[in-house]
Amino acid sequence: MVFNSIAFVVFLPIVVLLFYLLPHKWRWLMLLAASCVFYMWFVPKYILILLVTIVIDYAAGILMEHYADQPRKKKTFLIISIVSTLMVLMVFKYLNFITENLDQLCASLGMETHLMTHIILPIGLSFHTFQSMSYVIEVYRGHQKAERHFGYYSLYVMFFPQLVTGPIERPGNLLRQLHEKKEFRYENISKGMRLILFGFFVKMVVADHLGEYVDEVYGHLDEYNSWTVLCCMVFYSFQIYCDFFGYSTIALGSAKLMGFDISDNFKSPYLSKSIAEFWHRWHISLSTWFRDYVYIPLGGSRVKYGRWVFNILVVFVLSGIWHGAAWTFLLWGFAHGLLHVVEKTLRKALPTRGHAPLTLPGFGNALRVVKTFVLVTLFWVMFRATDFEHLKAIFVTAFTNFGGGEQMSVKPGVWIYLGLFILSDILLRNTRFDKWCDDKPLVLRWLIYAVLAFMVICCSSVCNFPFIYFQF
Amino acid sequence: MKKLLIRIVMVLVMLVVLNWVYSKWFFEKDLRKHSDIVELSWQVVDDSCRIIYLGESSNNNYGEKEVNHRKISDFTSDYFPTIKMGDLTKEASHAQTYYYMLKHIPKSSAVETVVVTMNLRSFGPLWIYSKLETPLRKQLVLLEDRPPLVNRFLLAFKAYPIKTEEEWNEFVFEHWRNDTFNIPDFPWRTTADWDYGMYSYGWYDFHGQRDWDLTALACHYIKTYAFQIDDDNPRVKNFDAIVDLCRERGWNLVFNLMAENVDKANELVGKDLMKLFRLNCDYLLKRYGNMEGVTVVNNLSLVRDVNFIDQDWTTEHYYEEGRRIIADHLALTLRDFYPNDYQNPDSLKMDIGHYFLGGTMALDRQNPYSMTLVLTADSIRPDWDMVNVAFEIKQADGLNNAIFAVEKHDAQGEKSIDSYAVNLQVQKSGVWDFATFALPIDSTFRMAQKIKLYVHNFSESAVQIRNLDVSFRPAYLKPRVKAKSYKSDDVDNGK
Repeated sequence: MVFNSIAFVVFLPIVVLLFYLLPHKWRWLMLLAASCVFYMWFVPKYILILLVTIVIDYAAGILMEHYADQPRKKKTFLIISIVSTLMVLMVFKYLNFITENLDQLCASLGMETHLMTHIILPIGLSFHTFQSMSYVIEVYRGHQKAERHFGYYSLYVMFFPQLVTGPIERPGNLLRQLHEKKEFRYENISKGMRLILFGFFVKMVVADHLGEYVDEVYGHLDEYNSWTVLCCMVFYSFQIYCDFFGYSTIALGSAKLMGFDISDNFKSPYLSKSIAEFWHRWHISLSTWFRDYVYIPLGGSRVKYGRWVFNILVVFVLSGIWHGAAWTFLLWGFAHGLLHVVEKTLRKALPTRGHAPLTLPGFGNALRVVKTFVLVTLFWVMFRATDFEHLKAIFVTAFTNFGGGEQMSVKPGVWIYLGLFILSDILLRNTRFDKWCDDKPLVLRWLIYAVLAFMVICCSSVCNFPFIYFQF
Repeated sequence: MKKLLIRIVMVLVMLVVLNWVYSKWFFEKDLRKHSDIVELSWQVVDDSCRIIYLGESSNNNYGEKEVNHRKISDFTSDYFPTIKMGDLTKEASHAQTYYYMLKHIPKSSAVETVVVTMNLRSFGPLWIYSKLETPLRKQLVLLEDRPPLVNRFLLAFKAYPIKTEEEWNEFVFEHWRNDTFNIPDFPWRTTADWDYGMYSYGWYDFHGQRDWDLTALACHYIKTYAFQIDDDNPRVKNFDAIVDLCRERGWNLVFNLMAENVDKANELVGKDLMKLFRLNCDYLLKRYGNMEGVTVVNNLSLVRDVNFIDQDWTTEHYYEEGRRIIADHLALTLRDFYPNDYQNPDSLKMDIGHYFLGGTMALDRQNPYSMTLVLTADSIRPDWDMVNVAFEIKQADGLNNAIFAVEKHDAQGEKSIDSYAVNLQVQKSGVWDFATFALPIDSTFRMAQKIKLYVHNFSESAVQIRNLDVSFRPAYLKPRVKAKSYKSDDVDNGK
């Protein structure tokens, strides 16, 4: 089930209503059943893959805790769990890519092979496998008690608001909350609704309208001039941000309706002054996952320079591959890693400020923000391109065709939506929409609701754009 | 809780205000943008049309090299020069789309009569679950009887079936596999079985080699037309809704059942498929022909193979002549509503390659010969390879001994007769049935100075024939050889 569908609009109120009507001891069951329905709305049989990873990791957690005093056994269970989870990921996400490349390699050696597989990627696989892995690693490290209740553990992996596109939750946050008894509070409903409304605006009004132009131009590069393609690159930067941010905001709001607080995934990433800062503000749950479970175990930054460069590149390349099984994603990850290394090395980037409040930039900072945005935008082309040929075509058209081709005509409404979003991103740079609304006068607040509701209903794109991150 | 209730009331008030704002300033623009069929309906009022023709691509398609691009509705309009006739034509539309088009014709319009295209194919799963359904159904969301804001909300949240081509195809396959034919002694259980049977036995060329193109086309005919219409068919419900709507609005309703390429269906697949054509046609004629205020024009078998543009697919796209034949037939029905306005424009001039001898004749012992088509040697073009003959026949009993005769006269006045038995094709008594022949134009045909084509009844009992139709096939259509007969039993037994 996708958030911007009529099915979800009907589904969510029913689930929330049942959640508050049922006694606490039955809520997990209802939420689990609802999550199954939510997931099976796509392709029912894929739930079996989820079941396999859930059972393995659930058992591994208990066994690791049971053998807490026998490090070798404990480690064996950790390895079994991680390898089996990665195998699932490998088969369903990467096997097509591997076999296709093997075929090409053999062809270049003069051998004809037909190894290519055509396995369909189950939606949200990368997200829930990573969430599952974070649980077993936390249990292994002793930071998290193994969950004995199979239902609660399953719900932790399958909790529907964040099941298919994250945020990738840690057990310390979500699993704990699932056990807590949630009382009905108007505040939660109000905040949840605000977040959902804002999320719908960002996804359906901003991202989807931009997507129409991006698809048109990237699909017909030969028809457009460089200015149009450059404009489209910027549009894509905002499309992917709004698409993912919108989804995450709806996820946050949906969970909030039932009193659950799930992690923020974005903090105005396009206001970052460096690539390092960008990664502290973009897809935070994934960045911190790689930081905690890959970068730091590799030695982090407390190693020699060469090793540190290696660590950074490994993490970014893995991040690229996590997004998709294609060379363009790998290149995208590598480019980000390389730039991160260069920035750090030249000490030209400002020190990252992590989750510290962001202040409005002065002129120098503004230039840095623009520089980071331009670089990120150029890198997004690798992310969007279907293959290297397409990537090359986009760059060639963007920088060599200023005289020929058509100039795309963008409807004024789209500039207005984009402008409104940029304004909101600046206003919300240190906060979240639900919190920002708190201290506004009632009339202004309701005026904002009315405008947002009107735009979501009456100005949203009618094209069907699935969430971009669904494919991961 | 009280606070929540107050907020709910505030939300409702807000929605009412938003609905008013949207209806007043935005809705019409959205309708034109996202549901453009409504513009067609509005056009009707602007043009003050009294007769409206609703159709899909069958109305406005024409051959690549055709000079005359006029639609069926235009040709029909020629018969009623004093009446303004308009058309609402939208590609791939069907009864559900027509319903919404009609619903949005303003009550103030001058419309009196509505002609709705009834396309037999549209009742089959291949069309009902076509990938075109997604955009078509999307168009209809804003046209529902709900507050405009609610409709726009449903459009924004994709309250229409969004499916990939593969998902739509899966529905089609399911019907082909599971819908069983409810016909006594019918040799096929399901469309899928039948398709497999055709695929297994198929077609061969003159050299005995498998003709895969022809086999695929035969399979396609099966997949397109091998279904049985019943009361649960979604299109039947849509047509029923149209009937109700037209009654409510006081319009004369004419369902124009479009011609299908029955010649090719008969040639490629044979009697079983013709039986389904007949059954489905009977169903529609019985259901709607007997309804008060509804007239069904049955064009199903009126257009011959040569007049179909798409020879390698199933469509209702006709060359000019085909469009004219349907228009002529439709105009005859409309004449009942407008007897004083009807004028024959004499537009139905046949090409030299097509001869149509209408009217009904009874052939008995006293008058055993039908109307005769007489051709001279110079009228047979060198680029013709085949001649297709079709006519309707009704026999008193099942023992008819009628033949279709090709009488050739040479330069010396000697004649030879090739005869083709009709009773191999027609066994039913008391009902109109089709007999079709595809005959090669061989050297004797070409050398003859004069050729006569006619039906000769040798039987004791009388037979009636009507609509003798002779079409000469151009050379670009390759000659065909039918494979040996096949039965589903053979398939089941793995033979």
